[in-house]
Amino acid sequence: MTPEWIEIGRGLCYAGAGLTFGLAGAGSACGIAIASHAGAGVMREKPELFGRMLIMIALPGTQGFYGFIAAILIMTQTGLIGGGNLKISLGTGLALFFIGLGNGIAQLVSSIKQGEASAAGIALIARRPESAGRAILFPAFVETYAVVALLATILFIIFLTQPSVLQLLPQ
Amino acid sequence: MRLSAGYMIPFIKNRPDWGFVCGRMSALEGKLLPREFFTLIIEMHHTEDVYQHLQGTLIEDYLDPGIPWDDFSAIADECFYDLATSIRAECPSPVPADLFLIRNDYLNIKSALSGIDSRFLPGMIREQTIGAVLDGDYADLPSPFRDRITGAGIDLGELDESMSDMFVDGAYLRHLLMLADEIDSPLIRSCVQERVLGHAVSSLWRVLRQGRDLKQVVDLFLPVGEENPLILDLAGTPDPAAWPDLVGGEIGDQLARAIQMPYDDQISTFELKVTNFVLHLSAYARLETSGPERVFAFLMALEAEMQNLKLVVTGKINRIHEDILGPRLRYVYG
Repeated sequence: MTPEWIEIGRGLCYAGAGLTFGLAGAGSACGIAIASHAGAGVMREKPELFGRMLIMIALPGTQGFYGFIAAILIMTQTGLIGGGNLKISLGTGLALFFIGLGNGIAQLVSSIKQGEASAAGIALIARRPESAGRAILFPAFVETYAVVALLATILFIIFLTQPSVLQLLPQ
Repeated sequence: MRLSAGYMIPFIKNRPDWGFVCGRMSALEGKLLPREFFTLIIEMHHTEDVYQHLQGTLIEDYLDPGIPWDDFSAIADECFYDLATSIRAECPSPVPADLFLIRNDYLNIKSALSGIDSRFLPGMIREQTIGAVLDGDYADLPSPFRDRITGAGIDLGELDESMSDMFVDGAYLRHLLMLADEIDSPLIRSCVQERVLGHAVSSLWRVLRQGRDLKQVVDLFLPVGEENPLILDLAGTPDPAAWPDLVGGEIGDQLARAIQMPYDDQISTFELKVTNFVLHLSAYARLETSGPERVFAFLMALEAEMQNLKLVVTGKINRIHEDILGPRLRYVYG
């Protein structure tokens, strides 16, 4: 494998890392904004519900962290952070790129949809504050698939970057 | 197409820019009153009890222990007006609130055409513009009113009060339809169209009861959008018993039921049934998280709540029997 192909493989895997936290972060920002609009409107009438609103607004923010975890894992496992100069084949790089992209899309969509579910839950809490416990469940179900996507991403990254797959390049 | 039982109107997608005002709607919807609230007032015997009962409602801030109860209708109107204008200020589009606020404007125009100063809180039209109507200047009035006057060469000064009222009613309905077209919502458009049709039918019915020739009156009343051919058909049929078949759909069914009522109650029953039908239709918007339909549905419910409050409180003050008040309550979803 020529050094050019190794560079392309490395570039692809870092592009995947960039996409995974970029898309997840953007999704979380959108999701929080959707929930925040509804929460702020409720607090206009019922400021005493701030604590319950805060939980619902914060829920879509977790996907941003999931994207961050996946990106950091790609960077540490491929040697960009704290590792040596690893040999990443074009195939491995391409696989890591699409894993990062897939995780990013899953986090992006789930955080926006979680924001909408949180806004609906906020509407329920506004009408019936005693239903806060149940209202939090619905956006939590959306979270499930963000967690599943993160777990799959972590497994893929770990198995694709085992020492038998990646070799240390000579200095 | 006329709406009938089992209707399904598609929702528009959630619009995040309506999120703030819809969050506020959610909190305010929690304060809407259930039907039992009104029936309890109907059963009360002392106005002090009514005052206590109204604590914790949306109208609470407008009541103080020394208020003259005779002014209760004005208090309820002020409460609705203040809330509607406050919601309007927070909406990305003023249309859902304007659909309710323009009613006062057209009532003020009617007063001005009769030579009386504005009595209702202004919605979209400034008080100066209404003041100009007193002097016969219609230039600054909304296009549904102004365009018809200039287009048909109508001289309102030559018309008697009931005829000029019909002209203003027609302009009001055209304005409602124009506003509904400004917002991309099939639900709002359907509700407005049904409301307009119901209003048009009851207006024609009242004119018919006055013994006037409907064909002469509709020239002042029209056009009202897609309903023009139907209105002309109704005007050519002087027997209201034949109207339900012409109107069709749910409004036609309600009209047929109203005609079965005693003569004096027919028109008011029809108006109540149309209002309840539109309220029922708009209540589907509660399923939406954020969008103009939520605002429209809340204002429909708030308007009905204020009408119900006016009915039961002023009814109690005037010692109207509870058997008369109960059936006149509007649909509530509090």
